[in-house]
Amino acid sequence: MSGLLTYISRRLMITIIILLAVSFTVYVIFALLPYDPAALTCGKNCNDPGIIAANRIRLGYDKPFWVQYWIFLTGLFVGRDFGSGAAAIHCDAPAFGYSFQQHACVTDLLGQALPVTVYLAIGALILWLIVGIGLGIISARFRGKIWDTLSTAFVLVGTSLPTFLTGLILIVFLVIKLPGSPFPADGYTAPEEDFGQFLLSMVLPWVTLAFAYAAIYTRFVRSQILEISTEDYIRTAKAKGLSDRMILGKHTLRAALAPIVTMAGLDFAGLLGGAILTEAVFNLPGMGRLSLTAVVDIDLPVIVATTIVAASIVVIMNMILDIVYAFIDPRVRV
Amino acid sequence: MLIGKKTVRAAIAVAAASTLAGGLLTGCSAPASAGTITYLTHQDAWTHADPQRNYTGRDIAWFGSYMNRTLTAYDRAKGAAGSAVVPDMATDTGRASNGNKTWEFTLRDGVTFEDGKAVTCEDIKYGVSRTFATDVITDGPTYAIGMLDIPSAADGSSAYKGPYSTDASNDVASFDKAITCSADHKTITFNLKRPVGDFNYTTTYLSFGPVEKAKDTGDQYDMHPQSTGPYKIKSYVAKSQMVLVRNTAWKADSDPLRAKRAFPDKIVVKFGLTEEVRDQMILNDTNKDAVSLDALLPTNLTAVFDDKGNPVAKYASRAINVYDPYVRYAAFNVAKLNCLPIRQAIYYAKDFTSLITLSGGQALNGDPADGVIKPLMGLDYKKVTGYEDWSVNGNFDKAKALMAQAKTECPALYARATDPKQGITYDIADTDTNKKASAIWIASEAKAGIVMKFNFIEAGKYYAVVLDPTKQGDMSAAGWAPDWANASTVIPELFTKEGGFPLSQNWDDPAYAEFKKGVDAALVEPDRKKQGQDWAALNQYAMDQMWVAPGVFSKTQEIWGSGIGGAFFWDPQGSLSFGDLYTK
Repeated sequence: MSGLLTYISRRLMITIIILLAVSFTVYVIFALLPYDPAALTCGKNCNDPGIIAANRIRLGYDKPFWVQYWIFLTGLFVGRDFGSGAAAIHCDAPAFGYSFQQHACVTDLLGQALPVTVYLAIGALILWLIVGIGLGIISARFRGKIWDTLSTAFVLVGTSLPTFLTGLILIVFLVIKLPGSPFPADGYTAPEEDFGQFLLSMVLPWVTLAFAYAAIYTRFVRSQILEISTEDYIRTAKAKGLSDRMILGKHTLRAALAPIVTMAGLDFAGLLGGAILTEAVFNLPGMGRLSLTAVVDIDLPVIVATTIVAASIVVIMNMILDIVYAFIDPRVRV
Repeated sequence: MLIGKKTVRAAIAVAAASTLAGGLLTGCSAPASAGTITYLTHQDAWTHADPQRNYTGRDIAWFGSYMNRTLTAYDRAKGAAGSAVVPDMATDTGRASNGNKTWEFTLRDGVTFEDGKAVTCEDIKYGVSRTFATDVITDGPTYAIGMLDIPSAADGSSAYKGPYSTDASNDVASFDKAITCSADHKTITFNLKRPVGDFNYTTTYLSFGPVEKAKDTGDQYDMHPQSTGPYKIKSYVAKSQMVLVRNTAWKADSDPLRAKRAFPDKIVVKFGLTEEVRDQMILNDTNKDAVSLDALLPTNLTAVFDDKGNPVAKYASRAINVYDPYVRYAAFNVAKLNCLPIRQAIYYAKDFTSLITLSGGQALNGDPADGVIKPLMGLDYKKVTGYEDWSVNGNFDKAKALMAQAKTECPALYARATDPKQGITYDIADTDTNKKASAIWIASEAKAGIVMKFNFIEAGKYYAVVLDPTKQGDMSAAGWAPDWANASTVIPELFTKEGGFPLSQNWDDPAYAEFKKGVDAALVEPDRKKQGQDWAALNQYAMDQMWVAPGVFSKTQEIWGSGIGGAFFWDPQGSLSFGDLYTK
C-alpha cells in the first residue's frame, strides 16, 4: 500500500510541475505576441496613447514579466483586483484575469462555458462508446459478412465527413426543413432552465460529435477483437469447448476494453477543452466557442485561461488514468 | 456614426380602425400584449448594453425601445415623422436660453429604475459623467465631452476625467458647473461651451440617460444595466442568449412613448448563430415570431428580392429593401495627396458599375453618391454640381486630362502616382469582396495612368489603423452616417481637425481656413433652414476640393418572421422600430 501511496504522491508532484510549466509556457508565448494587452482594453478610445498608457499602469501591464506572472499565479489562489477606485474590478479566486472585451472575470466565463462542454462531451462519449463498441463487436463477430461491410461503410462515412458538415446536414434536414421539428435551431438551453428543451437542444450535437468518434472506435474495437482472437489463450478457450459468445464476453472483450478505456479517457479530456466545430455549428456556448472567439478577438486573458485549462484537463486526466492503472496493475507502481 | 447603423423604410403599424378591418377581412389580429419575440443574430453579444456605450443606430433603437430611456427620443413613426424629437423622460423637448448655450429639461413624475428608485436629475448627471471616463466607458458617443462647458487639459482632453478618476487634478468642480440640478432634483440644466441649437437631438443619445451610482459597476455595467423602460434583463450570457422580461417597476403613465407599445411579454435574443443557419431559419419561417438583427448573406438576397430590389411574393409582407443612413466613400489623405487634379482624376477613373455589380447590384446596394450628405437628410441636402461629366463606367478622357494638368501643377506627386514601384496607396479592410474590388480599382485607374496599390488591413483593426495619421495611406475606404438628422454630425465630423472621423486630414489644405469659418458659422446658426443651406454649401465645397471620392448612398435589407406585426423602418436610427413589433 505504501508503494501505491508513494506512486500517487510522485504522480501528483509531477502533475503540479507540469501544470506550472504549462502555465509558464503559455504566459511566455502570449507575452511574446506582438500585441499590447493595454491597447486591447479601451475599444476605439485606444487611438488615444494617453488612455493606453493609463490603462497599462492601472492594470499592471507596465510591470516586468516575472512580476506579472507572479501576480497571475497568486491570483489563482487569492483572487485579484483590476484597477482601483470606483471602477475597480474584483475577480474571486481562482482569478484567471479579466476580459475587457466580454466585460467579465475570465473565471466566470469559464464557469459558464465548461458545463456546456461537459454536457456535450459526456453525452457524446456515451453515444459513441455504445455505437462504436457495439458496431466494432458486430463487425468483428461477422467478419466478411454484410454486417461487416455495412459497418465498414459507416466507418468510412464517419471518418470522412467533417464535423461541421455533419452538423449542418442535420440542422438543415432535421431542424429547418422538417416541419414541426422538435429540435431547436437557435442554440442551447441550460438544463436548470428547461431540462426537456436542454435534451432536445443537445441531441443533434451529441449525434454529430459521436458520429465521428463512433466511426473511429468501431474500427479500433474491431481490430482489437480480431487481434486478440488470435491469441493463444483464446485458442485454448475454444479448445476447451467454450462458446463463441462466452469467449467474446469473458476473454476477448475484457482484454480489448483496457486500451479502449484509455483512449476514451484521453478523447474525453481533449473534448473538455472544447469541441470547437460542433459548438460553433450548434451555437453552444462552450469552451470551444469561448476559445475560438477569444482568438478571433485577440482576447488575451481568455486565450491564456482556456489554453491552461484545456492543457490541465489533459494532464490531470492522464494522472487519473495512471493512478487507476496503478490500482489495476501493480507493475506500474515500480 | 461610424458603424452599424442600418436603415429601412417599410411596412407600418396600422391604425386601430384599419387593423380591425384588416383583421375581419384577412384574419390578421390587432397587436396584443403577449407572446415572445425572438431576435436572431450572428454576433456573440451586443456591442454594448451600457447606455453610455451604445452608439450604433440599431443598438440605440433596440435598447431605447425596451430598456434605456433618456431625456428626449425620436418619435416612433415611419418616414420623416420618425425624425421628430419628442420628450421621453423629460416633460418637453428642452428649453434653450443664453443663445442656445443653456438647455434645461424637467423630469416627468414616476420615472424609476427597475429597483423602484425614482430617477432624479443627479442620476442623469452621474450617467453623463461616465461619458468622460474614456478609459473605462469606451466606444460611446462623446458629444457631452465636446459640448459641455468644461475646460481642456494641457493635452487637449477634457479637464474632467469622469467619476472613477482618483487623480487630484480631476476637475470635478467644472463638471458640477456644467450640469446643475434643481433643489427638487427634477430639473437638469446643461451649460454648453458654444451655442447648440439642436442639443435636444443630442439628448436622444442613451448616453444622456440615467445611471444609479450605487449600481454602477464600471466596465461590468455593460452586462447588466439597470432598466428604466418597460423591460428589464432577466439573463444575459454572451454567445448564448439575452432574455428580457417585463419591468414591474415601470409605470406606463410616466412613458407616453412606450405606454401602448410594450407588446411582447418576453424578448429573447439568440446570439452566435451561424450566418447560414440564421438566414435559413428566417427564410423558412422556422420560428414565425423571429426577427433577424443582421443583414442577409449576399448569397441569400436573391431568394428574397428580385432584380429591381423588391421582395418576391413569398416575402412581400416580411422583408424590406431601403436606403440606410450611410454614405460610403474613399477618403483622400489630403496631407499626402495634396494635389486636387490627381484626387479628381482618381474619382473620374473609378469604375462604379463594376464595383457595385461586385457587391450585388445597385438595386440592393445603392446609388452613386455625389457627396457625404444623403438626400434622406432633406434640409441639408442639395445635389452637388461640377461633376456632371463623371460617368458610372469611368470617364477616362477626363481623368487623363486631369493627370496631364497634375504633371505641371504637382510634378512630384504625379511622378509618384504614375510610378509602378510607388503609386497611390489605398487602405481597405481585408475581406474577400474588397480583394476583388481592388482588382477593379487597379484596372480602371490604370486606364488614366494611375498606379493603385492596396494596403489590406485586418477588418477588426481597420479604423484603429487608418485613424492613426502616422499609419494612414493616401486613401482610405470609409462610411459614415449622421448621428441625427442634422449634417452638423457629418461635415464637422469628417472635415474638421476636431472632428471624430477626420480621415481626410485636410487642415493643411489652403482651402481649409475658409471651410472652417463656414463650419463654425453653421454650427451656431439658429435658423435650421439657413443652417441646412450652409451644410449643403459646405458639402459642395468639400466635393469641389475632392476631400473624399464619393461612393454609394447605400441600401440595406431587413427580414422578419410571418408571425411578427408592426414592423417598419425607423429612419433616424436606421433600423426596424423594435418597440413597435408584436406577435400576431
